[in-house]
Amino acid sequence: MVVAAMNADVEVGSEIPEWTMGSVDPARMKTMAAILRDPYPVHWDRVGNEKIGFGLRVINQGPLNVGYIANMLMGWAGPESVRRLTLSFARPVLDGDRVSARGRVSAIDERDGVAIVVCDVWLERDGERVVTGTAEVDGTRLIATMDRTKDDV
Amino acid sequence: MTADERNALIGHRFVGGTYRIAHWESWLLTDCTGSDPLPDDLVHPIALFHAPILGSGTSITELFALVGARGAGSVGLLGYDWEYLQPLREEIDYRCEGHVADVQRATGTDGRLQDTITFRFELFDQLDRPVAIVTNRWLLRR
Repeated sequence: MVVAAMNADVEVGSEIPEWTMGSVDPARMKTMAAILRDPYPVHWDRVGNEKIGFGLRVINQGPLNVGYIANMLMGWAGPESVRRLTLSFARPVLDGDRVSARGRVSAIDERDGVAIVVCDVWLERDGERVVTGTAEVDGTRLIATMDRTKDDV
Repeated sequence: MTADERNALIGHRFVGGTYRIAHWESWLLTDCTGSDPLPDDLVHPIALFHAPILGSGTSITELFALVGARGAGSVGLLGYDWEYLQPLREEIDYRCEGHVADVQRATGTDGRLQDTITFRFELFDQLDRPVAIVTNRWLLRR
């Protein structure tokens, strides 16, 4: 897991290294539907989706879209770092889409002695934000890195 | 769905129960996101979608039926607010409870009636310490 060990600073305005899903895979949607016990056919029924205006494409599950954002956060701040995700879904993500999770630090708080890094986050497709919201991560590893960097200097 | 029926839904509590995320399920769930497996028996954060629903003794099917969903195209996902008080781990029985928190009717930009349904779930560990608080909002087109 890549952590921000190479980041010189984490401060308000810092950008989170993006995480990209090169092509949203319909096979993964089928697995996901089984795990979720999700009977909603928009995730596997291409013909049905054509009737409701999505062409012959299936719609990615919301949790998977959130998953790409979580992957970005965990890759940056560590696998146990995610404390809160508050997200809105603006547009459906379809199979074959290339989407990138991106984010930027909006605040750094301290709660119970723990540095909480608050971030604006979003999932982007062709420059359009299809999921938007905020995330809070435990910044211990990020801030420790920053402190260590300062010590080294 | 009448105003009385909508009001009656608010506060509806699910039976409650427990949910254990098995290693195989955790592995597949993480793989679906395109991530490598997580270390230390960690479960991917997106388990906060299905684990509370199933652990509370309900299902997506039952949720849709409860709110009168009418098939493909009638349900839309509005948003989540997922708060993690502890990391989720594999092979632990989490106690789950949940209820319908809110139902709001409005008219959409297309002139159709729509209801925003808010579900709230809570997870607790085996020592009854809170693990997560989950709020999911769905749009039902009538």
